[in-house]
Amino acid sequence: MRHVSRSTLLALCLLATPAGVPLATAQANTRQETVVIVGAQEAATPIPTLLGNTAANMAVTDLMFLPLARIGRNNITSGDKDFIPQLARSWTRRDSLTLVFELDSRARWQDGVPVTARDAALALNLARDPAVDPQRALLLQLVAEATALDDQHLLVRFKEAYDEQLYDAVYHVSPLPAHLVDTVPRGALGKSAFASAPIGNGPYRWVRRVPGQQLELTANDQFFLGRPGPRKVLILTVSDAEARMNLLLSGSADVLQSSAMIATVSRLAADKRIRIYPMPSFSVGYVSFNQRDPADLGRPHPILSDLAVRTAITMALDRRGMVQATFGPWASVPQGPIPQMSWVRDPGYKPAPPDPAGARALLRSRGWVDTDGDGVLDKDGKPLALGLNYPSPSAQAGVLALQIQEQLRQVGIRIEVNRLEGSVWGERRNAGAFDLDFGQATMDPSPAGMVQTWSCAGRGGSNKAYYCDPKVDSLLALALRAPRKEALALYRETVRTIAADAPAVFLFTTTTPMAVSDRIKNVELVPVAPWSAVWRWSPGPVP
Amino acid sequence: MTGSLWRLLSRALASPTGRIGAILIALLTLIVFVAPWLLPDPSAMPNLLAGATPPGPGHPFGTDQLNRDILARVVSGGQISLSVAGLAVALAMTLGALVGGVAGYHGGWLDSILMRAVDGALAIPRLFLLLLLVAVWEQMPLGALVLVLGATGWFATSRIVRGEVLRLREAEFVLAATALGAGPRRIILRHLLPNVAGPLLVAATLGVGDVILLEAGLSYLGIGVRPPTPSWGSMILDARPLLTTAPWTSIFPGLAIVITVLAVNLLGDALRGALDPRSA
Amino acid sequence: MTRWLLRRTAQAVLTFLVVTVLLFVLMRLTPGDPLQRLEGDRQMSAEESAALRRRFGIDQPMGAQFRTFVTGALAGDLGVSIEHYPTPVTTLLVSRLPASLLLGGTVLLLTFGIGIVLGVFQAVHRGRRADRWLTRASLTLYAMPSFWLGLVLAWYFGIRLQLLPVAQMHDPLLSPDATWLVRAGDVLRHLILPALTLTAVSIAAVMHYQRTALLEVLRLDFVLAARARGLPERQVLWRHAWRNALFPVVGLFGLWLPILVSGSVFVEQVFNWPGLGHLAADAVGARDYPVILGTAMLVSAQVLLGGVLADLAYYALDPRVRRA
Repeated sequence: MRHVSRSTLLALCLLATPAGVPLATAQANTRQETVVIVGAQEAATPIPTLLGNTAANMAVTDLMFLPLARIGRNNITSGDKDFIPQLARSWTRRDSLTLVFELDSRARWQDGVPVTARDAALALNLARDPAVDPQRALLLQLVAEATALDDQHLLVRFKEAYDEQLYDAVYHVSPLPAHLVDTVPRGALGKSAFASAPIGNGPYRWVRRVPGQQLELTANDQFFLGRPGPRKVLILTVSDAEARMNLLLSGSADVLQSSAMIATVSRLAADKRIRIYPMPSFSVGYVSFNQRDPADLGRPHPILSDLAVRTAITMALDRRGMVQATFGPWASVPQGPIPQMSWVRDPGYKPAPPDPAGARALLRSRGWVDTDGDGVLDKDGKPLALGLNYPSPSAQAGVLALQIQEQLRQVGIRIEVNRLEGSVWGERRNAGAFDLDFGQATMDPSPAGMVQTWSCAGRGGSNKAYYCDPKVDSLLALALRAPRKEALALYRETVRTIAADAPAVFLFTTTTPMAVSDRIKNVELVPVAPWSAVWRWSPGPVP
Repeated sequence: MTGSLWRLLSRALASPTGRIGAILIALLTLIVFVAPWLLPDPSAMPNLLAGATPPGPGHPFGTDQLNRDILARVVSGGQISLSVAGLAVALAMTLGALVGGVAGYHGGWLDSILMRAVDGALAIPRLFLLLLLVAVWEQMPLGALVLVLGATGWFATSRIVRGEVLRLREAEFVLAATALGAGPRRIILRHLLPNVAGPLLVAATLGVGDVILLEAGLSYLGIGVRPPTPSWGSMILDARPLLTTAPWTSIFPGLAIVITVLAVNLLGDALRGALDPRSA
Repeated sequence: MTRWLLRRTAQAVLTFLVVTVLLFVLMRLTPGDPLQRLEGDRQMSAEESAALRRRFGIDQPMGAQFRTFVTGALAGDLGVSIEHYPTPVTTLLVSRLPASLLLGGTVLLLTFGIGIVLGVFQAVHRGRRADRWLTRASLTLYAMPSFWLGLVLAWYFGIRLQLLPVAQMHDPLLSPDATWLVRAGDVLRHLILPALTLTAVSIAAVMHYQRTALLEVLRLDFVLAARARGLPERQVLWRHAWRNALFPVVGLFGLWLPILVSGSVFVEQVFNWPGLGHLAADAVGARDYPVILGTAMLVSAQVLLGGVLADLAYYALDPRVRRA
C-alpha cells in the first residue's frame, strides 16, 4: 500500500536525507552528524503508516517506525523466505490460516511505553477498516482479524490459505502506539495530537516541523536495534527542482532522490563529490484514458470509451524513443502496470515500434476523418481533441506531455496540455475530471497490488479512470490464491490482458538515481523503504 | 491631436536613444511577424533522440531538450509577447483615459469614488492582482491573459489623465468651447484627449516593457501562456534543468526579452524626455 | 504636524479598507467554491465540512460573509490555509514575514544607497561618456527578467565558482550551538545573490530620478549663487544641491515598493528564499485562496505603510510641505 494514490504518484518529488556521525565525542559536531535530505513535498499531515501515502510521509514512516518484518533483497512477496525480522523476532504458522508473531521484548515507543502485540493488532485492524482507508482495506481483504495473545504474541488469522499471507501481515502497516491512538475516534485520527507530533518505535524521533520548510528528526538512543549513526535527520521541503539540485551541488544538502531524467542525472554525476546509487524502483509512469465522460461520470467517455481510439493512440506513440530521449539508461518501457523490480515482470517483453499509419487507418475505420482540412480528425462534426493533465512539479511529465502532444498531432489528434500544480492535478484526478491523465505510481512490491488501480473493485478508489474488465478481476483473484509458479503465469496473463485493453499508455518504469554526498559512507538503500537504513549510515566530515 | 503627437515623436527620434529604440522595435516587429514564414515549425521535434543540440548550421540558436528549433521558438514567442503586450497596453490606455477623463471632467463625488478605488488598486502590487486573477481562472486562454494584463495596467494612467484634464478643464480654450455650447462628449474628445495624448503615449511605451516582463514572469511561473504555444518565459522555465549542460536553451530567450524591453524603454525614455525636456 | 500625520494615516487606512473590499469581491466573484479543494482532498465527514463552511462563512449571503471576513481579519484571523491545512493563514504569514523584510530591506538600502551615489555621479558628469554608459547599463539591467538574471548568477557564483549558497536562507547543517555571529554571517551569505539580483534589476529607477532631480537643482539660482560665492564645488554639490534634490527620490520610495515586492516573487522562487513572494507563488499554484488573499492584504499594507513613511520623510526634509 505504498501505493498508487495520487500523492505517491509524485514519487520523484521526494526527500532529502541526512546522516549524522556517531562520534564518541557526541555533540561535538552536529553539522557533521546531520544528514540533510531534500524533498519536494512536505509530509502534509504526517499520520505515519496510516493514510499517509505521500512519498514524504513514507520517508517519515521509514525513519520513525519499525514494521514487524521487511521484504528482503529479492522482493519476492510470495512465500515466507524472503522476509527479514524487524520488530518481530520470529513467526510461526499455527495452520494454513494462522500466523503467530513473537515481538522483540526490548522494543519501546519513544515515550518509554513498551511496544506490545496490542499495538500491532490495532494497526492492522485499523488498516482493514474501509471507513479508515478503503484502498488499504481492499488490499487486506483476505485478512480476517489480528489479535494480541499476550504482550509479546500477535495472532493474525486469514480468510483463506494463500502465499502472500506474511507479506500482507507485515508490509502494509507498522504498529501504532495503542495508548495514544486508541483514545482517538477513528474518524478524527488525522487531526489528533498524535498525527501532528507522532511517537514512533523506530530509530528517529520527531522534533518539529516548520510548515512548508523543513522537518527535523533526531536520533532515538533507546532504539533497541542499535544507536543511530546520524544524530539528526533534516528533511527540507524545496518545491523548485532546480533549487533542490543546487542544494546538493553546493554541498548544503546530502541526499536527493533525483529525477531519473538523463539531463538531471548527468548533471549530478558530473560532480565528483556526489555519488549516484541506482535504486531499483517500483515506479511506473503512464497516461490513463478516462473511460467515463468527465462532464458526467455516469456516462461513457464520448471518445475514449472506444477501444480502437485508445489503441490507436498507443500505436501512434514512439514510447521507446521518448523514454530513451528523456531518461537514457534510467528507464525502460513497461508492458503494463508492472515495475522493473517486480518478480512477475516478463523479461522478454519488447514494446511494439510506433505505427502512425496503422493508427490513422484504425481511426479511419472508426469514422475519424479530417473532413475540414484543419489537420485534426473529426467525426459527426466533433474534433478528436483531448485534454492531458499533468502535475507541474514533474519535469519529466512536462517533457513527455509535449512529446505526446506533438506525436499525436501528426496523426490528427489534438491534445490540450494542462500543466497543473500538484494538488490541483490530484484533485482533478480524484474527481475524474480529465480525458488523459499523466500519473506516476509507486506500485506495491506484490503484483496483487494491481487490484487497486486496474480492477473493477478499485473504481472510486485508486482506479480513477473507471477501467473495468471482469476478466482482469478474475485473473487477479486466481493469482492471489495460486501457488507461486501458477501465480507467475496468471499475473503475466493479467498484464497482457490489461495491455490489450489499453486503459492507459504505459510509458516508463524507472531506476531511481539516489544522489548522496560522498562524505556519507555505508550508504544502504532499501528499495521497499528507502530511508529505513539511514540509521546505519556513517556521515564523514563536511568538506 | 496627430500634429502634437508627431512633433513629440520626431523630437524623441531626434535623440540617439530614441532612434536606436525605434529602429530596434521596428526591426523586431518585422522579424517576429515575417520570419515565421521562413523558419521551421516551432513545435516540431525532428529528432527526439538528439535532444538539445548546440547552435550550428540548420539551427542557428540550437535546439531545446525536445529538439525543437530555438530560433523558431524565440521568433514565434516574440509574436505572442509583442501581440499580448500591444493589445494589453492598448486596453489599459483606453481604460485609463476613460476613467481618468470621466473623473477629471465630472469631478465631485464620482471623481472621489473613482480615485479612492484607484488608490486602493494601486496599493496592491500589480503582480499580486495578476496572481489572484490567474489563480481563479481555469486554464487561462490567451485572450483572457490580454484582458487581465490590460485590466490591471490602467490605474496609474488614469491618475495622469485625470491630472491633465483637471488642469485643462480651466484652460481658456476649453472654457471658450463650453461657452460656445459644446457638449461634454465633444469637449473630452476634441479638446481634452488630444492634449493628454503625449503623456498617454509615454505611459503606453513604458507600459509595453512592463507587460512583456510580466507576461514572461507569469509564463515562468507556469501560469501564463500555455504550451505548446512558445513564450519566452516558459522557454526559460523549460530550460532550467539544462542551464549548465545546454546554456543556449535559456540564453537566447533571455536575450530576446532584454533586447525587446530595452528597445521599448529606450524609446519610452526618449519620448518622456521630449515631452518634458527638463528631465533629459 | 500631528494633524497632518493623523490625516495622512487616516487616508492610508481608508485606502486599505478599499483594498480589502476590492480583494474580497475579486475572490468571491470568481466561480468555484474555495472549500471544494479542501473537501476534495481529504474526504471529510459532513459535519466537518459543515463546520468549516461555518468557519469560512460560505453558507451565508455575501454581505454577511464580508462582515465575517472583516471581523476575523480585525482579530488577526485570515482563515485557514488549504494547502497547509490546518495551519492558519496568519501563522504562515508571520513565519514568512521576517525573510521578506530582510531581503526587501537589504535591497532597499542597496538600491537607494548605490543608486543615489551613481545618480549624483551621472548628474555631475552629465553628457560625458561615463554618464552615457551608466544609463545604458542600468537600462539594460532594468530590462532583464529578474528570474533569468537570478538563474545566471546562481549558476555562475553558486555552481560554477562554488562561492555562494544558491538556495534557502540558512545552512541547514549549521549547528544549533553556533554563535549569533556565525548565524548572522550564514544568513548574510545566503542573502547576497538574491539581494544582488533584485538590486540590479531595480536600481535604474533610483539612478534616473536622482540624476534628473539633481540636474534640475543645479540649474537653480541658489546653487549658482553658492558657486559664485566661491564655495568649493564639493560643498556646493552635497550641502546645497543634493539635499534639495533628494525629495523626488524619497517620493519614489512609495512608488517603488510594489515593484520590489513583485520582483521578489520571482527572485524568492529562484533562490527558494522563504519569504512572502514565494508563499504567494506557491499558493497560486495550489489554488490556496485564503493564503493568496492574506498575502495580497499584507503586501498592500506594507506598500501603504511605505507611502506614509515616505511622506513623513518628505515632511521632515522639506519645510514647504509643512506649510501646505
